[in-house]
Amino acid sequence: MLAYIARRILSTIPVMLVVAFVVFSMLILSPGDPAAVIAGDQATPEDVERIRAALGLDRPFFVQFAEFLWRLVNFDLGTSIFTNLPVTHMIAQRIEPTVALMVLTILFSVTIAVPMGVIAAWKAGSWIDRAVMVFAVLGFSVPVFVIGYLLAYIFALELDWLPVQGYTPIARGFWPFLENLILPTIALGSVYIALIARITRATMLEVLAQDYIRTAKAKGLGTRPILFLHALKNAAVPISTVVGIGIALLIGGAVVTESVFAIPGLGRLTVDAILRRDYPVIQGVVLLFSFVYVLVNLMIDLLYTVFDPRIRY
Amino acid sequence: MIGRRAAAGLTAAALAATTLAAPAVRAQGSPARTLRFAPHAPLANLDPIWGTQYVVRNAAMLVWDTLYGIDSRLEPKPQMAEAHEISDDRLAWTIRLRSGLRFHDGEPVRGADVVASLERWMVRDPMGQAIRALREELSALDDRTVRLRLSAPYPRLLQALGAIGAPCAFIMPERIARTDPFTQIDEVIGSGPMRFRKDEWDPGARATFERFERYEPRDEPADWIAGGKRIAFDRIEWIARPDPAATVAALQSGELDWWEQVAPDHAPVLRRNRQIGLDIADPLGNIGSLRFNHLHPPFNDVRARRAIAMVVDQADYMRAVVGDDDVLWRRAPSFFTPETPLYSDAGGEILSGPRDHDVARRLLAESGYDGQPITLLVAEDVAPLKAMGQVTHRLLRELGCVVDYVATDWGTVARRRAVRAPPAEGGWNIFHTWHAGVDCASPAGYTALRTNGDGAWFGWPNDPGIERLREAWFAAATPAEERAAVAELNRASMAFMTWVPTGLFMAYQAWRRSVSGIVKAPLPLFWGVAKA
Repeated sequence: MLAYIARRILSTIPVMLVVAFVVFSMLILSPGDPAAVIAGDQATPEDVERIRAALGLDRPFFVQFAEFLWRLVNFDLGTSIFTNLPVTHMIAQRIEPTVALMVLTILFSVTIAVPMGVIAAWKAGSWIDRAVMVFAVLGFSVPVFVIGYLLAYIFALELDWLPVQGYTPIARGFWPFLENLILPTIALGSVYIALIARITRATMLEVLAQDYIRTAKAKGLGTRPILFLHALKNAAVPISTVVGIGIALLIGGAVVTESVFAIPGLGRLTVDAILRRDYPVIQGVVLLFSFVYVLVNLMIDLLYTVFDPRIRY
Repeated sequence: MIGRRAAAGLTAAALAATTLAAPAVRAQGSPARTLRFAPHAPLANLDPIWGTQYVVRNAAMLVWDTLYGIDSRLEPKPQMAEAHEISDDRLAWTIRLRSGLRFHDGEPVRGADVVASLERWMVRDPMGQAIRALREELSALDDRTVRLRLSAPYPRLLQALGAIGAPCAFIMPERIARTDPFTQIDEVIGSGPMRFRKDEWDPGARATFERFERYEPRDEPADWIAGGKRIAFDRIEWIARPDPAATVAALQSGELDWWEQVAPDHAPVLRRNRQIGLDIADPLGNIGSLRFNHLHPPFNDVRARRAIAMVVDQADYMRAVVGDDDVLWRRAPSFFTPETPLYSDAGGEILSGPRDHDVARRLLAESGYDGQPITLLVAEDVAPLKAMGQVTHRLLRELGCVVDYVATDWGTVARRRAVRAPPAEGGWNIFHTWHAGVDCASPAGYTALRTNGDGAWFGWPNDPGIERLREAWFAAATPAEERAAVAELNRASMAFMTWVPTGLFMAYQAWRRSVSGIVKAPLPLFWGVAKA
């Protein structure tokens, strides 16, 4: 097992190199120019050129890429073109809100969606099943920002229970921290809940039709042990896979959610950096997201062995 | 299909409609000594010479001070300067600083700081460049006195030093001002009324300014960037709000005090809320621009440029930009800002009166246009530019033109508009932008109006005659001569059709009624503002 983990971690290095090359190439070769954005609308073409030269953006592609790689192997993500601050500092400033939002969303979604899917499968064809499926379709269909606006209207403006937007670090108290994240978590979790609930239902339906479930029922086992000990454990592998894949979905959703609720997280940092063509920041954040995604997939792979002892690495 | 912006607008309208009777103000701590302000764009850097975006200029106005500042009549008034003298030959200017001026690090403001700051500013500012070209000497005579000797008179010196258009002639400590003008400064230390809290800065999300206790405002009442800059707050927090509908909600709930720029479709919602004030932000507005590339056919021929101008209906453009709210726009058959002292619409007849498509088609044919694609760059991520681009697209097609409509983002337009190659090789024919009305009040810093060929702004128009008229304005000795010179300049520019003004548009600002003292100006001014 340890050898497998070591192999997988080592295998992330070429993956990250490919990601680095693709991200760097796409940014450098794509149209747009940070120097033009910095110089402002009234600047002359000569001003723009001089800023580009000062930033080193007029150097050949491979010179810039080599410098980028050298910094990378030294764990240096560079300096933001616009803020003149180290990219690691900017990521550190923004990572807490995004991690908090994503962790809360995963916890909230799994807690809600798995029981929903299990119950829907158990009561397949009933009104409960149909209600769960309607909810799932809505969760998939309604954009996150619409859910966000509606939640803000009901719970912040109308009922005045929660703040409209913003973020309070956990260091300033748990309730102020949670208060700001409740609505974003529900908004972002809606699509995730829909995804997990549907997969859980479908997998559970398959498992519940297996012979060993019939045997368990014949032995007189209660519904709860059958559903949650026997069936759910065997359905856990595809569910955990979807939870892992859904992280990418969450990253995309976090960008929108952070905008709607004015949360200063990595999603907004990425969008702002893309609009300004702040190459080092975009590269840093994309590399970070890619690394997290690779890491999450590794963890999911390792979890398979917990859910299914037949799986060996 | 309902777009995101439309959905946001509908939702915001729904929110407001149901909260009118009893506006819910969230009982969050809102100390009267802290002002929470939403700027029109996130503040990603704070070097007003290196980066000339308006949001940077606006923030810099809190941190740095200028020798002179223009008031609401567009007249320069002493700010850091106590007085100045001009030599009899009008070539030497001696400026004396006020006593008691200090930087945020406690150091006094010295003549050497002024010299270094002006040297850096002169490289980047159009008027500064003109002064630099004439400069024979710029030196500090002592800690409070600076002398500038020119090779020829430059009567607009004080307008240049007090200009509101970016980059402003901000005074920085010498060690910071010695930074290359094309490289960003490391320290944010000014002598303005607020100090920047770099330790609290979350670039693009939040910027905090703290009152500078040792700032000594002038005795005169504040008037735009002139007069006594008295700040009633200990802290001013700039909180970037990326989503306009959410910003509406934040203003309604009391989580925000002042919003610099309200999108037109959110104005009705805010207007109906009794807790919120809404008014025009900048009375001078912005002049929309349809900018030609003069290097390549068909717009290297004045007949083609005039053909387009003949069919431009400014009402179409402005309604596309601001919607049905007629308060937010007006016709401007001129390159200059309406209701400013030098305004003239001489030669502007081509932009008013009935639109004549037949004459325009004939003129276009005479210019030699033979159906080659016209490359129209449109920044779809900037609402006014997208709106103007769509109107131009329709207009060109009505004239029988083949249009290569390049839908892209502003970052790409900003890059591609600098390409001088033919449109088929990555260049362009037309792009849209706008110019701040305050910059278009006189020819002084009006880069877009220049026609000095290779040295001109994007599009590179070339007409030495117009340049001579511009110089005539600089040489004008009396207000009457100035107005006459501007009228001639406008007439010649209209005949040459350097670019097409598509109308004057404005924007609203909104604030909670607990905030008072907000004025209409080309930038948000925090002096004189108070909060109950």
